[in-house]
Amino acid sequence: MKVGRRKFLRAGSAALVGLSFKTDRPIAGSFVNDSFQMGHRLRDHAFFPPPKRVEKFPVVIVGGGIAGLSAAWRLRKRGFTDFVVLEMNPQAGGNARWGENEISAYPWAAHYVPVPGPKAVYVRELFEDLGVLKNGEWNERYLCFAPQERLFLYGRWQEGIEPAVGLTQKGRDQFRHLGDLFAKFRASGEFTIPLELGRTSKFQDLDRLSFSDWLQQQGCDSRLVNWYMNYACRDDYGALAKDTSAWAGLHYFCSREVEEKGPLTWPEGNGWITRRLLERVGPNVRTNEMVHRIAQTKRGLSVFSGDTEFQSEFVIFAAPTFLAPYLMDGFPRLHDFDYSPWLTANLTLERIPDSRGAEPTWDTVFLDSPTLGYVDDTHQSLRTYIDRTVWTFYWSLAEGTPAQSRQLLLDKDWNYWKEAILKDLGRVHSDIRQCVSRIDVMRMGHAMIRPAVGSIFSEERLRLAQPSPDSRLVFANSDLSSISIFEEAQYHGVIAAQTVLERLHGHR
Amino acid sequence: MGILLFISVLLVAACGLIYELVAGTLASYLVGDSVFQFSTIIGTYLFAMGIGSALSRYLNRGLVQRFVWIELMIGVIGGFSSALLMMAFAFTQGFELILYAIVVVMGVLVGLEIPLLMRIVRDRYQFRDVIAHVLTFDYLGALGASLLFPLLLVPRLGLVRSAMLFGLVNAGVALWSTYLFASQLSDSRALRAMCLLVLCGLGAGMAEARHITATAEDNIYADDIIFAKDTHYQHLVLTRFKDDIRLFLNSHLQFSSRDEYRYHEALIHPGLASVPVPHRVLVLGGGDGLAVREILKYAQIESVTLVDLDPEMTKLFSSHPMLTQLNHKSLLSPRVHVINADAFPWVDSNTDSFDFIVVDFPDPTNYSLGKLYTTAFYRAVARHLSVQGMMVVQSTSPMFARDSFWCIAQTIKQAGLQTYPYHVYVPSFGEWGFVLASFHEYTPPTSLPSGLRFINVEGIPALFQFPPDMSPLPMPANHLNDQVLVRAYDNDWKDISH
Repeated sequence: MKVGRRKFLRAGSAALVGLSFKTDRPIAGSFVNDSFQMGHRLRDHAFFPPPKRVEKFPVVIVGGGIAGLSAAWRLRKRGFTDFVVLEMNPQAGGNARWGENEISAYPWAAHYVPVPGPKAVYVRELFEDLGVLKNGEWNERYLCFAPQERLFLYGRWQEGIEPAVGLTQKGRDQFRHLGDLFAKFRASGEFTIPLELGRTSKFQDLDRLSFSDWLQQQGCDSRLVNWYMNYACRDDYGALAKDTSAWAGLHYFCSREVEEKGPLTWPEGNGWITRRLLERVGPNVRTNEMVHRIAQTKRGLSVFSGDTEFQSEFVIFAAPTFLAPYLMDGFPRLHDFDYSPWLTANLTLERIPDSRGAEPTWDTVFLDSPTLGYVDDTHQSLRTYIDRTVWTFYWSLAEGTPAQSRQLLLDKDWNYWKEAILKDLGRVHSDIRQCVSRIDVMRMGHAMIRPAVGSIFSEERLRLAQPSPDSRLVFANSDLSSISIFEEAQYHGVIAAQTVLERLHGHR
Repeated sequence: MGILLFISVLLVAACGLIYELVAGTLASYLVGDSVFQFSTIIGTYLFAMGIGSALSRYLNRGLVQRFVWIELMIGVIGGFSSALLMMAFAFTQGFELILYAIVVVMGVLVGLEIPLLMRIVRDRYQFRDVIAHVLTFDYLGALGASLLFPLLLVPRLGLVRSAMLFGLVNAGVALWSTYLFASQLSDSRALRAMCLLVLCGLGAGMAEARHITATAEDNIYADDIIFAKDTHYQHLVLTRFKDDIRLFLNSHLQFSSRDEYRYHEALIHPGLASVPVPHRVLVLGGGDGLAVREILKYAQIESVTLVDLDPEMTKLFSSHPMLTQLNHKSLLSPRVHVINADAFPWVDSNTDSFDFIVVDFPDPTNYSLGKLYTTAFYRAVARHLSVQGMMVVQSTSPMFARDSFWCIAQTIKQAGLQTYPYHVYVPSFGEWGFVLASFHEYTPPTSLPSGLRFINVEGIPALFQFPPDMSPLPMPANHLNDQVLVRAYDNDWKDISH
């Protein structure tokens, strides 16, 4: 490269007197794992070519997320291998997908599973299979290392996310009052994981009002109490408390025992579980298979993907349920399936940003930020010396309606989100721009089912979760519970597989 | 005579600035916060100069004589200012008071200089020329001084001698003035004698400067720093005071060469000498090679694998003559294999079996180091331990960090090993503790390598006795997901420092 003499002199003299500007690190990155283009083809009834090939499987699983992979895990464990999992994306895992760079593996969405309670028998069974649970003991390496969580508020850090700093007597009383109420609801046995095993109509009234209305009824007007309750809803449901069913809000706090062990987590989050599942069912999984039609036939159901017709006896529909009307002729429109849009980002950090002297934790949250903060993906590393890391940044776009937020996701370019993320992190980590080398952003228009008011006891949902005895189509997505968590997805996947196996036997 | 006069102005100006820089630099060195020191010293100095200028109007008679006296005073006070300040810092509580007193006195005197000089020469030149010439040379002198100071004086002469050198210049100008303005002096002989006296005093000071500095510095810094380096992983400092070499990692003392034999003999021999036929040894941490030195005293040992994070550390202890003399070139032995790696992942990925394992990490001062004191870690290490083998763990002080010590012992026990805690006294550390661990019952050794200075066969059983103030406490084990040890350690040392 030829450098002009003038330019050379200018650069040289500037360097000589130290006049060159202090620059931020150039930051690379892009949108990754976009899949809305495929979804929109379905929505817009695009033309799909007629099939050229026919393949036959007794069972076809549509969707390779945790529900689909869990169904596959159950089928294979029962010795049934004649099935195929069709996944639209290049990578299986759904919300439990992961990535990896030279520094660390990292999650793209779900990043932990709370230590499962006694009712979550299938989760416990899976974890025994994977060596996470052995002789009744949880493998220490998979429990979240200490220190786990920190909240930045009023210019300082506190341990844990429930605000303790700056709390007035009133706020303390309200937290205590809520704690007592939660303990009572917990003791009622109505709020369980899986949700289906405890739910009766006992507290159905709570599904008819929003969580924020319920909090108001309990006299909770403390700013910090409301911030925390909203944080919980944004974190688990991608919605504000006012858009969340009170029953669901209570489920978040009352479905788990208060235990100190901390969640199970891995550098790649629940991607670790996906990897282990794929080690077991990988041969049955086909990626880049976008199902565009499911049709009734005389002998069962045909699933059309690309140029292939998969002829099957049973279909486990593990993809998000809202897609069903777009794939099946005559399928009724769904009304009770609302989804929260999310944005996640993975930030490559060439050095550890300044944390005002605090030691790094697993999860970091900022009070009053619209985002959910970030998770440090090298936190579960066994190394003692860590000088580079990856942060997974979470942002549920809970303000505004889901449709508005989805439009925002489509309209704004990568640079917009990059700047928004850096601005958010920069409030606490002042040198963030000198540390980041890459920000990859993943947009998810329908990231998780939203437990809106009335959705928990929705008849439409209950009907879909209980397929009629002659149905060859069995639904399995976690949205059947109206709560998008690993345990629900796994439960519905396993139940669907068992249902299909029973019916196969019945037919033969 | 004109040019000679103005050269005096130049020299006087340079001296004035040098004393100001000396004070600022010394205060920054000794107290720190250079921005604050320089700002306040320059401000005070300039203000005092203003006072000097204001006072100059009260001096009416015998101007030359007074100018000479002022020069001599500046020479003495300025010349010795640096030495005086160092002594003040080393031996008194009132460094700041003395610092600003010197700055004010110097400022007042220097502030008198130029007005007096201008009045002395005002009859020889037109007023506008006096102003122009005097100020020109004043500023030139300041430039010269500000360049000389950092480039030549501080690196070559040091602060003490620089100040004295310029004290000599002031005294020289004083002597010179008695000739220059001889016509305006009534009795110049007494003045000249005084000048010579001051010159001699400062000259003697120059000659003795090294001694003054050394006396003061001995009091400021306990020991000489013979090596300091920020490696990729840590801040490494070696100090020496007479025959005592000390290693600090991130300002935590690792050993003192005077008593490290107590620590390392106690770390190695009670365990290693009890292993029937030790062939292979693993050392985790211990990049100083001192534990390895003790291990190599056993002829049966075929190989020692040393895993230390920091290559700079093992390199330093393989090459620095003072340090290889201390570790008997242990790291250079053909029996020793040095691996620079992070211990936990290395232990996880390696499959070798060892007859003796030494776990010698820095204390669990933070969550990162805390990972190396967990049940998960000890389980991983135990997979490398042969059936007849022993493992020993550096376990901090059972005296100062009693909770921590018993927490470590409990953690090793919960990892599935039998534990045998013991302690020794190491003067530079105080009471120090270790935990021996194995799959079998421990029997103290009946023979030891020759040439040990601290450990003997008869004394070993006593090491396992804990007096009441260090006796076992019921502590929970330390896990990756709770890191109770880091919190306990923090509390233990908080108790000590309060």
